[in-house]
Amino acid sequence: MNKTKNKVRAFFSKPANVILALFAALLVLLTLYPLCELVHHTFVVHATDATVLPGLKKGELTTASWKKLLFTESHKYSLINFYRPMFNSVLLATLSALFALVFGGTVAWLVTRSNLKGKKFISTVFIFPYIMPSWTLALFWLNMFKNPGVGTGSPGFVYSLTGLMAPEWFVYGLLPMVIVSGLHYAPFAYIFIGGILRNMDANLEEAATILKTKRTRILLKITLPIVKPAILSTFLLAFASVMGSYAVPIYLGSPVNFYVLTTKMKTLQTTAIGQAYIIALVMVIAGALIMMANSLLTGTRKSYTTVTGKSSQISLVDLKGANPVITAVLCLLLFFVCIMPLFSFALESVIIKAGDYSLSNMTLNYWFGASGSVSTTVGDTGILRDPAIWSAIQTSLKLSVCCALIAGSCGVIIGYAVVRRRGTKLSQWVSGLSFFPYLIPAMAFGAIYLAIASSFSFLANSFLVLVLVGSVKYLPFATKSGTNAMLQLSAEIEEAATIFGVSWWKRMTKIIIPIQKASIISGFLLPFTSCMRELSLFVMLVSSKTQTLTTMLMTYNEKGASQYGNAINLLIIVLVLAINFAVNKLTGASIDKGVGGN
Amino acid sequence: MPEIVLKNVKKVFGNKFVAVDNLNMYIADRSFITLLGPSGCGKTTTLRMIAGLETPTEGQITIDGVTVFDADKGINLPPDKRDVGFLFQNYALWPHMTVYKNIAFGLENLKWPKKQIEERVGELLDMLKIRPFVDRYPSELSGGQQQRVAIARTLAPKPKVLFMDEPLSNLDAKLRGEMRTELKRLHVDTNSTFIYVTHDQLEAMTLSTKVCLIESGKLQQFAPPLEIYQRPENLFVADFMGNPTMNFLSADVLEKGEGSLDMDFHGKKLRFHAADPFTDPIGDEIILGIRPEYITLCETGKLEALVYTTLPTGMETTVRILLDGELISAVVFGCVDYPIDTPIQFEFAGENILVFDKETGKRVGIGSVSVIE
Repeated sequence: MNKTKNKVRAFFSKPANVILALFAALLVLLTLYPLCELVHHTFVVHATDATVLPGLKKGELTTASWKKLLFTESHKYSLINFYRPMFNSVLLATLSALFALVFGGTVAWLVTRSNLKGKKFISTVFIFPYIMPSWTLALFWLNMFKNPGVGTGSPGFVYSLTGLMAPEWFVYGLLPMVIVSGLHYAPFAYIFIGGILRNMDANLEEAATILKTKRTRILLKITLPIVKPAILSTFLLAFASVMGSYAVPIYLGSPVNFYVLTTKMKTLQTTAIGQAYIIALVMVIAGALIMMANSLLTGTRKSYTTVTGKSSQISLVDLKGANPVITAVLCLLLFFVCIMPLFSFALESVIIKAGDYSLSNMTLNYWFGASGSVSTTVGDTGILRDPAIWSAIQTSLKLSVCCALIAGSCGVIIGYAVVRRRGTKLSQWVSGLSFFPYLIPAMAFGAIYLAIASSFSFLANSFLVLVLVGSVKYLPFATKSGTNAMLQLSAEIEEAATIFGVSWWKRMTKIIIPIQKASIISGFLLPFTSCMRELSLFVMLVSSKTQTLTTMLMTYNEKGASQYGNAINLLIIVLVLAINFAVNKLTGASIDKGVGGN
Repeated sequence: MPEIVLKNVKKVFGNKFVAVDNLNMYIADRSFITLLGPSGCGKTTTLRMIAGLETPTEGQITIDGVTVFDADKGINLPPDKRDVGFLFQNYALWPHMTVYKNIAFGLENLKWPKKQIEERVGELLDMLKIRPFVDRYPSELSGGQQQRVAIARTLAPKPKVLFMDEPLSNLDAKLRGEMRTELKRLHVDTNSTFIYVTHDQLEAMTLSTKVCLIESGKLQQFAPPLEIYQRPENLFVADFMGNPTMNFLSADVLEKGEGSLDMDFHGKKLRFHAADPFTDPIGDEIILGIRPEYITLCETGKLEALVYTTLPTGMETTVRILLDGELISAVVFGCVDYPIDTPIQFEFAGENILVFDKETGKRVGIGSVSVIE
């Protein structure tokens, strides 16, 4: 008895153990409990369900929602509302992840292992699509290619200049969605694979060179197998992200009735919320399966991905004659993908009548105009004079700062505890739990919290619920970067201070945090950026008082106020890029450091 | 001044791996103890347990009469309450602080008055000859200079006990030699107890007052270095200490006498004269442990082998000779060269030839050996 008491006391005398125990409990509450609630809600009849499920009263427990969504043959209900969207989701996610992997991986290899020109420009700009909101490219695509032949019929840039009418399959549907999502997640592949290629001991390849191995053979037999775990994780992470994305499908898919799980869920939310919860649950299960696949496929082999060697002299592959061609093509492409959208949004936000790009058709009134200077479906003032916009900017910034502070701090602390107690069951449990929110698609995550908020009145429609959901959702990024930062620091650095009796708090603030400043701030920057451009997570949770810039953008676009939409979009991108740039210059922190790159 | 006592200390990692098993040790005041052993034997774990950086699974540790750890009573003093200093293998200098700040940080934390801190840091800067680097950051120092800063930082609060975890292993051979000299001098000057972890038997020999040899978490022998060298308790200790390593030659016992032993060695009859009484009954097969310096190469030697190779170092030459497929090392003073594959005569000299029991590996006798026929 006494011995057990001593053991418990010894256990809790270590700050790392206290942190782990605390977060184990907290994470169960914030991730597992909501999950149980979600399951529960799929069996409850809600007010909206009562109309589609005749004969059932609100609050009753039933399996009717499940039956209705999964096994209704009349009017092809199940096919249209569940099976086809699911097939579309999987197809979209697979193709997009593959595209991201091939594109990002190739560029990563070119930048780290060849004598490509303009590496600095390429590596800086290549991250842009990830910093920008995911729908940026989707809107840009529409701005460019929409024409009177498809969709709403308003003319886009290409049509107005050349008169060319792109076919519908090129403007809307699977193809543009794959291109746009793939481009958005390519930086992922670039950061992960590039990080490993950069860290990989060049001796490994040199050893093969000495043995007279051909370049291509080295690439196939040495480099690729070593990078394989990163390739797999990148694929699965990109897959999970695309599965959960909402904005791209709503802009590029819904106008032609190309539905995926997320867009279907949003539709069902207003008509039959019980069925929406089932879709959310399916997405969670898909996420969990992906996580299991990831750890099964890469778990045991991860260890050698971070091998670092002393030799940094890598002999670069000579691209010879192809060099200027590849460089030019890549730069042109990046210019189109990363810089053109900004011009496009700026342009579209000042044009009065769509498709007319003459100076006489332009006005800055959509930005600065006084009341009555413009006329749209949603207002008649410039957005910068609109108090609703200012309130949304404030909400967005406040929300992002809160989420970044909470998720970032927790990430550092969890990272510290997990690394210090590495190998113990508790540490594995906490790091697994903190990664869990990543796998739940943002949309489903929002749905879960919506379900909870409905049972706690202080959460419903509140700012607090947005902060909560944002902090938990971005915890995986923050934890990953916190863990990385701590792994780079030997325990001895801290023990040297422990010997002098320096308290835990002081060890953290005077030693550990100052040394790993850049990595730690990166851990704050990532949640901040993600939160600023988040839509799917918040779209179900915002109320009229807690509109963010992104949900505002959504509303304006839905109501056809395209100048406002473009203006707000530009505003978000400029804000995010400016803050990222400023933080990077001031502290050396950067997004790619946060994701685990170098 | 403190003495350190370890009683039945045990450390188990996870649920299976026993890093340190039932360790008992008495470390006298002002001694220079080395924990010696192959890598992974538990020496660093032992050190960290005494310092309080690792919690033992069982046992009791007292420093200066104060119980700092007791598994049964639930006592576990944190490292800072144990009045110890710790020198880390890779120095663990704080990269974001200057040399001055690195040394002063611990003292500031102990709430020393500013004036006193300045004095003490100045003292150490001079003592370790690092004053010119006072405003530099660790990354701007060479390995040797970093080492000195780490020592200064550790010594700053005048700890009664100083722990060192392979502090010289990151230095080049020449610098290591210099630092050895300084550490031994420092031990006398600071008047404190040093506990030093190393896997280098030469370092243990030259530095310590007592060596604690550990293998697989078990204490093998705890004695002054020369005693360990001359009278190793078992085959492991005998093999680990000394370079070139001791020769182990198998022999069959022919006749056991009072204080003597006749045996068959490659067809020759040898007689062992014990200097001390045998400690254990002797089996039929034994192993003779003979240091290379006790094998004399001379024309009058009664045993014959072939020269396999010679390895001159300048001051001495190691000659490896081959006897019926068994390699034997002999050390000759000065530079000598023997033509390879030629016959050479030798015999055993001195009073420090050891007899080990082949089955238990324990030393049972010490004495001299002569060839009878």
